[in-house]
Amino acid sequence: MSEVENLKVKRNLTALIEFSRVINSSLELEFILNNVLLTCLGKFLAIRGLVALKEGNHFQIKLSKGIPDEVLSIFPDVTADKDCEMKEELNSFFESAHLKICERISSSVGCIGFVCLGEKLNGKEYTDDDREFLKTILNIAATAIQNSLVVQELKKVNRELDSRIQRLNSLFELSKEFGLFSESTKVSRLLVYSLMGQFLVSNYAILNFEGSAIQVLESKFQIDELLSKLRKYDYLKIETPLNRTKLEKSYPELFEIGIQLIVPMQIQGKVKGLIILGKRVNNLDYSDYDIEFIYSVGSLAIISLENRRLFKEALEKQKLEEELEFAREIQQNLLPSQIPATNNFDIAAINLPSKQVGGDYFDIIKVDEGKYIIAIADVSGKGIPASLLMANMQAFLQVISKQNIDIATATGLINDLISQNTSDGRFITFFWALLDDNEKRLTYVNAGHNPPILVRNNEIIRFSEGGIILGVMKTLLPYNSNSIQLESGDKIIMFTDGVSEAMNPFSQEFSEERLEKIALSTSQLTSNETLKKIREEIEKFVEGAPQSDDLTMMIIRVR
Amino acid sequence: MAEFNTTLKEQGDISIIKLKGYLDAHTAPVLENKFNELINNNKYKIVVDFRDLAYISSAGLGVFMAYIEKVRENQGDIKLASMSDKVYNIFDLLGFPLLYEIFKTEEEAIKKFSE
Repeated sequence: MSEVENLKVKRNLTALIEFSRVINSSLELEFILNNVLLTCLGKFLAIRGLVALKEGNHFQIKLSKGIPDEVLSIFPDVTADKDCEMKEELNSFFESAHLKICERISSSVGCIGFVCLGEKLNGKEYTDDDREFLKTILNIAATAIQNSLVVQELKKVNRELDSRIQRLNSLFELSKEFGLFSESTKVSRLLVYSLMGQFLVSNYAILNFEGSAIQVLESKFQIDELLSKLRKYDYLKIETPLNRTKLEKSYPELFEIGIQLIVPMQIQGKVKGLIILGKRVNNLDYSDYDIEFIYSVGSLAIISLENRRLFKEALEKQKLEEELEFAREIQQNLLPSQIPATNNFDIAAINLPSKQVGGDYFDIIKVDEGKYIIAIADVSGKGIPASLLMANMQAFLQVISKQNIDIATATGLINDLISQNTSDGRFITFFWALLDDNEKRLTYVNAGHNPPILVRNNEIIRFSEGGIILGVMKTLLPYNSNSIQLESGDKIIMFTDGVSEAMNPFSQEFSEERLEKIALSTSQLTSNETLKKIREEIEKFVEGAPQSDDLTMMIIRVR
Repeated sequence: MAEFNTTLKEQGDISIIKLKGYLDAHTAPVLENKFNELINNNKYKIVVDFRDLAYISSAGLGVFMAYIEKVRENQGDIKLASMSDKVYNIFDLLGFPLLYEIFKTEEEAIKKFSE
């Protein structure tokens, strides 16, 4: 070997060692490829070149020098096999790019790409030696490129993993936060912020459905426009996420206003709301993985919203119950707290309200020395309206009792007042009487109430004289009254239908017949004892079945 | 509730918001208020300094998305600076660096406004 050739070999060897040292000093693909290409261009005095690597099953140009972009843009999309076979399309590309020599890069896993070089600046052709030397350079480079590709892949996998962990963290955090917020607006705000942050989206809307009513919780879209377009479709049937393609095809009006994704929020298969998103600022499409995340977040949010609604409902119900309890208390306070003491009468009374606020009423009003008004009434219906009417009734009675009008006429007046004050078909059954302690006399009017029972000498007399129930129409026919001279041992039992219609579990009524029988069997007992006995019998009869009506009784025994 | 606060500093026509603590769903409204305040005062050149921010959740990131449009419409920008690696990673994962300029220091971000 001549000295010149020796020197050349030495120089080549030194260059190769230096090249190997440099490219193995880094794991950055760009740095390695740049060095490979520059070394080749420098060594062969080539004026252009490129490096292409396999990505999946295709070749991808990773680096090029001296080749115009328009030429690069026609790089064919050819399938890359294990040995990087240069297909016909590739060869014609090399020709148009003026690339003269191409060599494969092969690592331990097989061919990973190729390097191509253009003509030499000095116009000489590539020799066999040149090709051999290029092969040597690429053999040295292959390991470094392969390592860097592995590191790149690892980085990509790591990043995907990070992204999944980040989403998992977000889901975890949201599930915690959704439970903490007490207002639905805060839940929807949090949902929107999370979606904006996660997907770089600035156009959105969150809708909540109550039946077919739409509540817009958040919207950056024009609300009127959005709703009018949405109503053109059967939006309650959007049970699966709609991506860009589906929207464009089946919901064009929504797609036209910039909607790119609709994800339903469902509870037990029912669509309770929609998450509507516009374009992502980074122009990426929503992937299936993104949609899955949005669906999960939406589910968390809608459950939180639904819980909040149910909680609010429960609160309102509780509030209503508290108000009813309050009404019941007021009603109880309207009843006489004490029975006045009389010379000739032993009087006892009781009002046991059912669970609901009812409309039973009894009263004893002292109108003059030795003269008392006794009354018992039952307002139709239940709840606040019944209790208000009952309160009215009591007020009328209190006023009219003091007017010194005979009770038949007074009943007519009360009926007129009640008729004026009821408009929804409510009425009152009413029995009242003037009880004269001095003369042991009772003058009564019965306005459609269950006739009170008088037990005298083991016989029953009913107090039926009077007229129609109160509140149905103005008084056209005057009410009749009846006056009875009472005798020692007489017992009067006044009651409401809560007594006679007390129901047992077999839907049987206690009945007035049973009450009459007890009335007869207890004629010797005091009023209080009689009251107690009737209560016991009713309790025995109903066998613990819940009662829907108030139970009111007043008992007068003549001494 | 997690600790979070912001301090505002003015440098010429640039407003610098320093964040401290945990920026999550609970504390996001604090930052919202700050942005609202600046926008109401027509201050659209904003640098957000993350030096003392320990954590940011996706809801926290959402706040930046909520205001950027309005700020840029008014020829301003929100520039981000001094993030810890942990915080930067989250921004990076979600692709924020494509949309926002993120600087190593507050000074660099401020300087960018005057270019």
